[in-house]
Amino acid sequence: MIITIKKDTKKLLETLDRYKSFYLIGCSECASLCGTGNEEAIKELTEALTAAGKTVTGGIVPTTGCQTLGTKVELKKDKDASGEAEVIIAMSCGAGTQSAVEIFPDKPVYPANDTMFLGNMTRFQMFDERCSLCGDCVLELTGGICPVTNCPKGLLNGPCGGMKDGNCEVSADIKCAWVRIYERQKKLNELEKMEDIAPPKDWSKSQKPHSLYNKEDKQKDKAGATHSDKTAKSVGAPPLKEKK
Amino acid sequence: MSLKETLQSGKFVVTAEVGPPKGTDIATMLHDMHLLKGKLDAVNVTDNQSAVMRISSVAVCKIAIEQGLEPILQMTCRDRNRIALQSDLLGASVLGIHNVLIMTGDHVSAGDQKGAKPVYDIESVQLLQVVDGLNNGHDMYGNALKGATSFFQGAVVTPEANPLEPQLMKFKKKVKAGANFFQTQAIYDIDKFKEFMAFARQFPVKVLAGLVVLKSAGMANFLNNNVPGIKVPQSLIDELKAAGKEKAGDTGLNITARHIRQLKEEGICDGVHIMAIGMEDKVPTILQRAGLL
Repeated sequence: MIITIKKDTKKLLETLDRYKSFYLIGCSECASLCGTGNEEAIKELTEALTAAGKTVTGGIVPTTGCQTLGTKVELKKDKDASGEAEVIIAMSCGAGTQSAVEIFPDKPVYPANDTMFLGNMTRFQMFDERCSLCGDCVLELTGGICPVTNCPKGLLNGPCGGMKDGNCEVSADIKCAWVRIYERQKKLNELEKMEDIAPPKDWSKSQKPHSLYNKEDKQKDKAGATHSDKTAKSVGAPPLKEKK
Repeated sequence: MSLKETLQSGKFVVTAEVGPPKGTDIATMLHDMHLLKGKLDAVNVTDNQSAVMRISSVAVCKIAIEQGLEPILQMTCRDRNRIALQSDLLGASVLGIHNVLIMTGDHVSAGDQKGAKPVYDIESVQLLQVVDGLNNGHDMYGNALKGATSFFQGAVVTPEANPLEPQLMKFKKKVKAGANFFQTQAIYDIDKFKEFMAFARQFPVKVLAGLVVLKSAGMANFLNNNVPGIKVPQSLIDELKAAGKEKAGDTGLNITARHIRQLKEEGICDGVHIMAIGMEDKVPTILQRAGLL
């Protein structure tokens, strides 16, 4: 899921100082699990805004804030309240915020949260980053532990000289991703996988902005590119020439 | 003589380190280079070591050549993407720099530019392959070069890494990727180093033992607690302590000289790489005491 944290309320209120009325949009998915876009978070921000002398015209926790069409439909029921507000506050991730921008072309949309990473929830509201959406998965080579994400340097061919007693040079709280990979491969009796040199990553696969259109009849022509298959593509990424 | 020729001749090779200064005043660095001239087979020029921003290693390598030294260009993968790395390698080549030491590079969080974006577009094993490609007349995408490079390429290894196995696997990859020589992280326990050399001797590469000169028992403890891959044995710490504050520095020079002598006399490795860390002017004294001058 997408991990979000609340912006500092005092600073948020400062940025909103010039406006008087607000409509709040949360999200029942990731932002709810993070506690940044659920009913409780909306209630809390409503109280803070009211205490600062502002008006909150209403609020909603849509099913999936980044699902633009669905959210638009859900918001129709609350059209009057959102229409009264000067400003929309999005209490979701950056994606949900930009869905709100699409839904409200004539109103300023402010984010209440900072969007941090794609996270695994290990315990209630405890999140760890395991995947960095690089578009070029190597997990089959690394015992299912991602070095692109778990190693601060994203190294693909083994530990660097900064590994100390199995931990990372960046922080002793981080276990060296390559020591973890080594231990797991050893346990699985697949250490030979560590002997082949992993080639350089094709970073063109993580070229932004990504688009993926699965339904051929709904293809859009974005940046001059068309997509005829159902695979994810980065628009405009040059192919790697490997002649070696 | 080039480093490659010296190593191939079978001579016990001595290299040391010059750290480019932070700023344009290079008087001290030139003074150190002058002291080292004629006493070393090559000098490593560090690449923004510890992620602290300094003069570029390519520029300082060029100055080293002008000062009559054979430079080893240290190149980390931290600050440049594949385009910049290849471009700088071509640049180094036309400036007459023909030895490179490829390394990952300390993370930016260790340095003085903490908000910097760490690059690591490609990493040390892959960069060794890239150098090999440039030597064979093509860039990493297979495009032909008008004029190939002729780098003698080295890599680093940490014989005291804990755990050691993943480090040795990476060593093997570096050999496969084209490394000709290795300079090791600092070693202090010669018997343990012999075990590492028994492993390394299976491969057709030259190995220079890294030696960091100890200044005091405090420094030794600091290295043990803070620097990955360094283990100063208690016996050396005791030796420095016994020497007392006044003489600890001199004892440190003696320890390094003694290690050099043993490594050479017993033919344990192909040479040494002395990291004096701010005491570059003491390197001639060490070499004298080791019987190399």
